[in-house]
Amino acid sequence: MKYQSQMVAKPYFIAAIGLFLGQILFGLIMGLQYVVGDFLFPEIPFNVARMVHTNLLIVWLLFGFMGAAYYLIPEESERELHSPKLAMVMFWIFLAAGVMTILGYLFVPYATLAEMTGNNLLATMGREFLEQPLPTKVGIVVVALAMLYNLSMTVLRGRKTAINLVMLVGLWGLAIFFLFSFYNPGNIVKDKYFWWWVVHLWVEGVWELIMGAMLAFVLIKVTGVDREVIEKWLYVIIAMALITGLIGTGHHYYWIGAPEYWQWWGSVFSALEPIPFFMMTVFAFNMVNRRRREHPNKAAVLWALGTGVMAFLGAGVWGFLHTLAPVNFYTHGSQITAAHGHMAFYGAYVMVVITMISYTMPLMRGRAANSPLAQVVEMWSFWLMTVAMVFITLFLTAAGILQIWLQRISDQPMSFMAAQDQVALFYWLREGAGVIFLIGLLLYIGSFFIKGKAATAD
Amino acid sequence: MRVATFQWLMLLTLTALSFGLAEAGMSGSAVLIPVLLATLVKGNIVIDRFMALRGVKGPWRWIVLGWLLLVLGLIAYAFQLAQS
Amino acid sequence: MWFFILAELLVFGIFFLAYAFARTHNVELFNASQLELDRASGVINTVLLISSSYFVVLAVSRIRRGHSRSCASWLITAMTCGAAFLVLKLSEFSGKIEAGINMSTNTFYMFYLGLGFFHFMHVVLGMIILGAVTLKAWRGGYSAADHAGVETGAAYWHMVDLVWIVLFPLIYILN
Ligand code: HEM
Ligand code: HEM
Ligand SMILES: [Fe+2]
Repeated sequence: MKYQSQMVAKPYFIAAIGLFLGQILFGLIMGLQYVVGDFLFPEIPFNVARMVHTNLLIVWLLFGFMGAAYYLIPEESERELHSPKLAMVMFWIFLAAGVMTILGYLFVPYATLAEMTGNNLLATMGREFLEQPLPTKVGIVVVALAMLYNLSMTVLRGRKTAINLVMLVGLWGLAIFFLFSFYNPGNIVKDKYFWWWVVHLWVEGVWELIMGAMLAFVLIKVTGVDREVIEKWLYVIIAMALITGLIGTGHHYYWIGAPEYWQWWGSVFSALEPIPFFMMTVFAFNMVNRRRREHPNKAAVLWALGTGVMAFLGAGVWGFLHTLAPVNFYTHGSQITAAHGHMAFYGAYVMVVITMISYTMPLMRGRAANSPLAQVVEMWSFWLMTVAMVFITLFLTAAGILQIWLQRISDQPMSFMAAQDQVALFYWLREGAGVIFLIGLLLYIGSFFIKGKAATAD
Repeated sequence: MRVATFQWLMLLTLTALSFGLAEAGMSGSAVLIPVLLATLVKGNIVIDRFMALRGVKGPWRWIVLGWLLLVLGLIAYAFQLAQS
Repeated sequence: MWFFILAELLVFGIFFLAYAFARTHNVELFNASQLELDRASGVINTVLLISSSYFVVLAVSRIRRGHSRSCASWLITAMTCGAAFLVLKLSEFSGKIEAGINMSTNTFYMFYLGLGFFHFMHVVLGMIILGAVTLKAWRGGYSAADHAGVETGAAYWHMVDLVWIVLFPLIYILN
């Protein structure tokens, strides 16, 4: 760590990990409700748990991105953060808003919550991932703008590198596309358009910039490879991501009432979306193989490599699986979608945030790397969580294939719920894998509390 | 330089040829084969001479030429399929 | 840059084949709609692009001998052809749109307009690249020893030309 103000990243990361734990607990609750329908009823209905699970995911990833930005931008710009105080104020505002929102979901019926928070003034609630009450949405915008102001001032006055510029553009994009969530047209076709312009253009557009910048930053640090090489890769990756991702939005237009030609354009362009993810994998391995130094933080290197592989598998392979219109005709909205959503979110964004945390946390705690034992535990948590996620994905994929067969292809199609009963076994297995995931996460959290002498490069 | 000019004239001639066949109202294989061949030659000139990939080491030339061959070949196949 | 060129070729290749195979299900429709196209405008555009590619070749050969100014002049000539292509193409499109035709009219027009527009955007991008190269060449930014920028810009432009060389017979001529 070179600048004192980078320390503001620390509370952001701690909050992120805390909310991550919450997310997983609600995932497990839901996973059980899938097979034991009245579990925790009426205290926590499935729809509420689902909202909490996905919203916590988004919010903790945002915490992670913000923390990463507050760490990375000063270092790249070679100057202190414009205003560390503003960053801290924003942290507390964001945390309070996040916690209040989750408590609102849990303790107030959603319709009442909507009424209380002015949804009748400007209706924005009720759409997956964007369920937040109006004040929370406004809060997100305020926090994001304050952060962008803070970071932009830092970059403007400091050194400009590919990494901090890409990161900044990604964050601006994130904030701008979020504005679409304030428009909730009554026309259901338009509604879907605007919803995807947030959801898709986030994960398959601007978030990829953020991810690329974070990965490149950590790779420079742990491998010592020349900046020029890494920057060239970064530019090619983000150019490919933006070109394929923008037109690739069409893979969500197939059945929502958009013109039919989108079946062609969406299919072809989204079929190319795996390319940037594949390049990220090659990039990570290539840089590590060409490393000029042995960094003592082995765990961070492992996370960086894992991000490359798992992002490609989850987004690239599992995305491609159902992205062509003739395939999506059958798989749309099935468990295949959930399988892909889980592995892609985990492989790309969860893992890149943890990569960043893994690299920076020891530095913020005054050492180059954690003790060997702490690193071993962390690497165990890596394998447990990652392998558990692979199995969650496989079980959901199996459930999905069966579901599609029974419900949509066979001569005597079953009803939705009848088909769900038939695949219950896979839901039990998924829940089992989920427990392993939780164990991995607990180990991960535990690794922060293991003391010992810092590891050195050998 | 004169070589490039010659190639340019070649490209123009082949274009005129393809256009002429279409204007003459011909259809089916009578158009398909000569026009695709002309396109192949034209593409080859652009790739080898204009892009100057001829004589370049490594796979680039073959990838691009392979692209041309594959695309034209499959187009020929699809059109043949449509005729039968 | 070569990486992009290959990616672009891949996209266009997939669309060309999609056209060819979509046509097998709907031969009459494709043939009938194709007859409504302005073939003359297509052929003039082909001549324009081929010629502009040729001028770019001349520009590259000039800079190889260190003649910056004459390199820039040939590039400008090439871009003039490119601009003429764009104008012609726009008038072709506006004709169709005035006739009430759009991408939803039928599958043929989906490809004709979609692919045409997509290629159009590539010509625009190619012009921007050539423009930047021209500017730098005019200011003497390249030399006989160091002119990788010119070569790269040229390669991109030739790719745009190459794609059109396949697109033109496919959509305007073959039936
Ligand atoms: C890290 C990047 C990605 C993430 C986090 C992600 C996440 C998701 C999520 C959560 C959904 C479900 C949305 C819903 O609730 O309906 C989804 C849907 C989808 N994704 Fe991705 N995705 C990513 C990349 C990709 C890529 C690269 C492709 C294509 C190659 C792709 C193809 C699809 C398709 C086709 C659907 C629609 C599924 C359906 O029709 O039900 N995704 N994605
Ligand atoms: C213990 C592990 C987990 C379990 C048991 C679990 C369970 C679930 C369940 C049951 C759903 C609801 C699916 C439905 O509506 O039918 C869900 C949705 C979702 N979960 Fe998880 N989850 C877990 C971990 C994760 C992780 C680590 C992530 C992100 C990295 C994640 C991201 C999501 C997303 C994006 C959705 C919405 C998916 C969609 O609509 O397709 N989950 N999860
Ligand atoms: Fe998408």
